[in-house]
Amino acid sequence: MRSGYCRALSGVVAVLALVLAAQPVRAQSRAETLRYVTGASVNTLDPNVPGSTRESFAVSLSTYDRLVSFGRKQLNGKWVFDLDKINGELAESYDVSPDKLKITFHLRKDAKFQDGTPVTAEDVKWSLDRAVTAPILGKAQLLTGSMTSADQFRVIDPLTFEVTLPKPDKLALPNLATVYPIIINSKVAKANATAEDPWAIAWLKEHTAGSGAYVIESFKPGEQVIMKRNEAWNRGTPEKSAFFKRVIVQSVPEPATRANLVERGDADITVDLQASDVQSLESKGTLKVISTPQYNAVTFISMNNAIPPFDNINVRRAIAYALPYDDMFKAALFGRGTPLFGATWADGKPTTSAYPFPQPVTLDLDKARAFLKAAGMPDGFSTTFSFNVGQASTAEPMAALVKESLARIGIKVDIQKLPDAQMSTQINEKKLPFFTEGIVAWLPSNDYFYRNFYTGDQRWNYSGIKDPELIAIAQAARFEPDKAKYEEDALKLNAIHFAIMPQIPLWQPNQDAVMAPSIEGYTYQFHRQVDYRDLSRK
Amino acid sequence: MKGFGVTVLRAARRFMSSLPALFGVLVFTFLLMRVLPGDPAVFFASGPNAGKEEIEVIRKQMGLDKPVPEQLLLYLYDVGRGNLGRSLMTGQAVTKDLRERLPASLELTLTALLIALVSAVPLGVLAALKPGSFVDHGVRLFCALGVCVPTFVSGLLLIYVFYYLLGLAPDPTGRIDVFTSLPPSRTGFLMIDFLLAGDLDGWWAAFRQLILPAATMALFVIAPLARITRASMLVSLGSDFVRTARSVGLSGWHIVVTYALRNAILPVITIAGIVFSTMLGANVLVEKVYSWPGVASYALDALLSSDYAPVQGFVLLMASVFVVVNLLVDVLYGIADPRVSI
Repeated sequence: MRSGYCRALSGVVAVLALVLAAQPVRAQSRAETLRYVTGASVNTLDPNVPGSTRESFAVSLSTYDRLVSFGRKQLNGKWVFDLDKINGELAESYDVSPDKLKITFHLRKDAKFQDGTPVTAEDVKWSLDRAVTAPILGKAQLLTGSMTSADQFRVIDPLTFEVTLPKPDKLALPNLATVYPIIINSKVAKANATAEDPWAIAWLKEHTAGSGAYVIESFKPGEQVIMKRNEAWNRGTPEKSAFFKRVIVQSVPEPATRANLVERGDADITVDLQASDVQSLESKGTLKVISTPQYNAVTFISMNNAIPPFDNINVRRAIAYALPYDDMFKAALFGRGTPLFGATWADGKPTTSAYPFPQPVTLDLDKARAFLKAAGMPDGFSTTFSFNVGQASTAEPMAALVKESLARIGIKVDIQKLPDAQMSTQINEKKLPFFTEGIVAWLPSNDYFYRNFYTGDQRWNYSGIKDPELIAIAQAARFEPDKAKYEEDALKLNAIHFAIMPQIPLWQPNQDAVMAPSIEGYTYQFHRQVDYRDLSRK
Repeated sequence: MKGFGVTVLRAARRFMSSLPALFGVLVFTFLLMRVLPGDPAVFFASGPNAGKEEIEVIRKQMGLDKPVPEQLLLYLYDVGRGNLGRSLMTGQAVTKDLRERLPASLELTLTALLIALVSAVPLGVLAALKPGSFVDHGVRLFCALGVCVPTFVSGLLLIYVFYYLLGLAPDPTGRIDVFTSLPPSRTGFLMIDFLLAGDLDGWWAAFRQLILPAATMALFVIAPLARITRASMLVSLGSDFVRTARSVGLSGWHIVVTYALRNAILPVITIAGIVFSTMLGANVLVEKVYSWPGVASYALDALLSSDYAPVQGFVLLMASVFVVVNLLVDVLYGIADPRVSI
């Protein structure tokens, strides 16, 4: 009896000891693990696959290297990516020829793929050939940097690689730092290519063959991705591997749950909370909240310039003066962003060559009525205002305010809430008269915005304008080598924008990164996701 | 044994006779998805530079460049071979997605139904035994609350109390804590797989993860089950055979359980079958709130992005589940009341 009791007791002690011993081990591995929660999900391991999500982009930045990457700079005390500073990633250094038509990359001698084989110029060529030839997303992106054909890429020796451009293009080099031109282990990829799929698109969707900072440990599309550190990786700025041993990217659809997880310390960082949750978490002060204006993004109220009544310039102007900007800004974003209204232009000329820029518009119903009268519609008209379900949390209060305010100048607005796919289809077909949408540019230079969002018969030209002068200036500015002249062109483009008012920029929403106080190094990136390689724990 | 064989044969015949209905559902969903406004190709070609060319590539990939009748024939041919197409949203084959997600939904729904039945039947019986009493009103109030609070509200409320305030529940993110390793997948039901693997810690972790969402769903369906139990118990308690049983002096327990409840259980089974099918498809809010990787949230996401294949696959799956559940309910009928045959 006694011995039985003793045995039981020692058993209990042993179990307790085990539990206690296991606890610190688990706590330590937790400290070396980054758990990132998001409302979206990762659907492919190759960001080039049509339909890939932004979360997939973020994962690919950790699993693959590119030739170059963007540096970072401080903007109002917060770290953001720096378009003008291009650092080497797989390239140790690069030279641009004096005529700016040739870029030569010198690859790192010590760079290895995750399977241990060295990264060679052959791999770089195969990867970039793939990006411009295969039917994938890289093609359209690299086109904006004048890279369109495999003939432009040349292997000089195993560690030297050359890109030839038809024209000097400022955006060629930055383009190679974007998400798509990943450098793939060509031997592995070729071994898994098939006759119908020579670029191994299907295989790379579910497997990685890169040299990046993290190795995929498990990938459950739509649920979670777990990555472990690539110890050999040394492309980070201090020459060492990434900080976290493991990274867990997990989909948690409900924003309130994400907020709870971060607040309880179970998750380390998230960037897509609702503005109201961010507000309350920030006021509690227990978490680190870094709000960066998304300076490469804009939210618009767009009007279809091709159909009545918005084909009338005075109707568009009337709308611009009839929007309750301040109320909308507070109701939709809780003021978390940079307003693009209410500017003062002393001599009626734009004060900045940057795009997006604040326009001198405010709520002024008398002015709006006058414009409406000038348009020949003093009694107003009826229209619908659309937004997509995915943006309902910001667009719904905004739409209600638009409706209320426009009713005062006689414009009757019906609010229409569309499922996301339906909204994008109707925008693409230019069927929506009046709606709100946002845009984002990876390479936010002035001409890039105007060329992509104000020209052509394509989805991103929301207002559907075709202004010959604007098109001509924007195309010329793209290849303008002289900085002062470029500035001049940019100012002209901004002036045209205000004069013809194709759509009304409202604001740049903040990216609110909410993280545990121990997380450091967060940088706002062009792709608006967290780059896990930036982060470390104090 | 012979009776069992006959039942199986009849069940198989019943199943065969529902095949035309399944086929109709298949064709109808296919056409419905194509009639809906919203072009998946445009939606998925949403890269910052995606133009006409990308849209065409996706359209071709999805087979949308062909005329609709041809698409339908190809689809039917594929379904015949067990291929439900590919989801653009997850990049996986729909059959694979559904196979991974259906057990998650089933596990959650079955647990919820079990909780609901275990609490609803006694509540209904208690209410019926003393109609108009304090207990009866209490049950009515409880049921009313359960029904009128939407599941995402009760879900968020339960998370707030048990996870956020008290810290009793694990974080509400899916079927298992991210730091726990999964058992080898045999059935897809974590509760069973962990037991088969002999991993009791894992089983406990999965159970803790499951209990909150299951309770949320159960709260919502307790009301219909309890109300129907109460109503049919009232009828059978007032019937002649119960009065006879009482008059011959049988014990109260014996009367209530053996005579009254067994006779009153038929409508409860029917309702439970319907409730189960509805829960499986309509628990999308619970799945969203608890990040549960189930089929309903999968289908909703697919519908919002006009991803045809997963929606069609989901509807087909739900129709099949409905057929099977109805069959099961009929078999249970036969057990509860031997006079009923299917």
